[in-house]
Amino acid sequence: MVEVMNWQLNRMMAYPYEEARPIRQAAAVFDTNKCIGCQTCTMACKTCWTSGHGQEYMLWNNVETKPWGSYPLAWDVRELELLGPQHWNGDTYGGKTIFEAAPQGKKNIGWQPTGLDYAYPNRGEDEVNVTLTVKRYHLKLPHDMWFFYLPRICNHCTYPACLQACTRQSIYKRQEDGIVLIDQERCRGYRICMEACPYKKIFYNHTTRVSEKCVMCFPAVEDGIQPRCMRNCIGKIRSFGFVGTPQTARPDNPIDFLVHVRKVALPLYPQFGLEPNVYYIPPVHVESDEFLTMLFGPGARAAINTYQNAMEGNDPELLGALLLAVSTDKIISRFKVESDSVIGWADNGDEVVRIPLKVPIIERSAFDENLKVYRYNIT
Amino acid sequence: MERSETGTITRRQLLAGGLTGTAVIVVASCGPDANNAIPKGEIFVARVKKVPRLDPSTRDWEYGPQATIEMGSQEMALPTKKVPTVTQLTVRAVHDGTSIGIRIEWDDAETNDLTVRVDDFRDACAVLLAAGAGDASVRAMGTPASPATLLHWKADWERDVQLGVQGISDVYPNLSVDTYPPLIVDNPTEITPMDYVKAGATDWLPGLAVGNPLSAPTRPTSVEKLVAIGFGTSTSCKTQDAIGAGQRTKKGWRVAIVKPMTASDESETVLHAGGTATCAFAVWSGKDKDNGGHKSPSVNTFRMRLEA
Repeated sequence: MVEVMNWQLNRMMAYPYEEARPIRQAAAVFDTNKCIGCQTCTMACKTCWTSGHGQEYMLWNNVETKPWGSYPLAWDVRELELLGPQHWNGDTYGGKTIFEAAPQGKKNIGWQPTGLDYAYPNRGEDEVNVTLTVKRYHLKLPHDMWFFYLPRICNHCTYPACLQACTRQSIYKRQEDGIVLIDQERCRGYRICMEACPYKKIFYNHTTRVSEKCVMCFPAVEDGIQPRCMRNCIGKIRSFGFVGTPQTARPDNPIDFLVHVRKVALPLYPQFGLEPNVYYIPPVHVESDEFLTMLFGPGARAAINTYQNAMEGNDPELLGALLLAVSTDKIISRFKVESDSVIGWADNGDEVVRIPLKVPIIERSAFDENLKVYRYNIT
Repeated sequence: MERSETGTITRRQLLAGGLTGTAVIVVASCGPDANNAIPKGEIFVARVKKVPRLDPSTRDWEYGPQATIEMGSQEMALPTKKVPTVTQLTVRAVHDGTSIGIRIEWDDAETNDLTVRVDDFRDACAVLLAAGAGDASVRAMGTPASPATLLHWKADWERDVQLGVQGISDVYPNLSVDTYPPLIVDNPTEITPMDYVKAGATDWLPGLAVGNPLSAPTRPTSVEKLVAIGFGTSTSCKTQDAIGAGQRTKKGWRVAIVKPMTASDESETVLHAGGTATCAFAVWSGKDKDNGGHKSPSVNTFRMRLEA
């Protein structure tokens, strides 16, 4: 083990390999407040990558309802239980990562799923956090009961647990974009990676008898096009691009802006220690700070405040960055809010999108004088 | 037991103690002279007319003296396996000048011969062959200076050979599938990997598309030949000319592995009649989720001595 810097934990941590960050790191921001759980992302991925024989129970992309949903079954609860107590001292993680908590003879803690664990991808769907049998609930704001959707793909971690666990070096992280891939020729189906990945985003192919995972649609990314799950997002919750570290972050890079400048997008279970590269805007209606901190780290409440401030019209730049989500198939590497619009540019400098910050609304009268009918829709 | 001047034992010398080969084997394997005949740390490969091939139970194997192999922990690479599941193997080896055959037996009460489900792990065994004469340095899967040839028998491959390549319909008989694009058929649960090959659609089976031997649509044998130069380096050989067969016995597994003594691939170990080599053994227990380095290896390497 060597010491590497994990900026999400704000400290050095133990990892088997030296710190070797890619030239740039593919990353995404998911706004949980906009996700409607439609599973279009799941189907976009499924129809593209995992419709083959042996991939029946495989969902590289899934959307689960929190707090009760999980796929595979109780993936996070089991991992958290193995990890033991976790605590933050301010912005610094004071507990152990999955590498630091490894028992003797192993590189990490982890658990091996069984077939049944994959059998209930929609377990807990739309279930709220409390039982409804105690008293009758009426709509109340802020909510005293809640759930939210958590879309999940491989996090293409900076310190992948799968990669370090593989005894055959079958898993590699691409230098050009940080995408983590399994060499299908070299993999022997040992499933040590599956046990090691705390997010349980490694899957076993029943037919080819080797492991597979999300490839972040790398052929598209190489062409400057966003992955399918991002492009097809109905709720426009997903932003895709490249993320830097706090030291290298560019304020005009939309992902850096959301993650490092405004800090509204946070990693999922940062305490695992993998420096995951899918970031989440926490749900504003979840009152439990303890739950949010467990999922997204100590910055969750501040992120919600910043987000709500933008929604109230006080932060046009943040609003602009959020509006870029699923506004184009192209990967946006630079953005700027100019007068009343946000403009996005691709790597090659081409303007790929221009969106008004406020959609012009025309309000019509309820009664149409020409046709002598009442309108259903007046905007 | 009589010995030659060079210290090697010939078949003639082994036969000197009895009327039939079988009788001699009893002496060599079980009698008090056996330890004298086969020095500790040595696998003696008896020369026979023809190496038995796909029958692990034929008495022809008994021409090879029986060696008992102590199995130990694997603590050199993570994850370790501190307590061996299988503590002992019995091995017999014969050659006919062109092929070498090795029979391995071990106790294992539970059959684990599937790797279809995510929690299926196979029973398996392997022989490591390398140059030298009991070179201990090659025990950890060979070295760059002394590559190891690995002959890996897999129980799931044996089942594939016997019953056809096993798939998801075999373990989930009530499976329901709408369709497997791009193969549009009336009963998609009957689709096999071979149908993808015939349709030129192996892109849907990535492991198969890139030629991973684990993903092969057909299975001619249950043994895979690999070469390695250290932990994590084992690579399947281009030429797969090792064959084998495994059988369940009352106590466990009995496996026969046969390969040509010549090398057909780069870095493969060459064996010569009258020569020596280094060998070691390993066993995987499916019920203990053994896989890769999580295995019970032989405590030592052995000098393999081939009868002239």
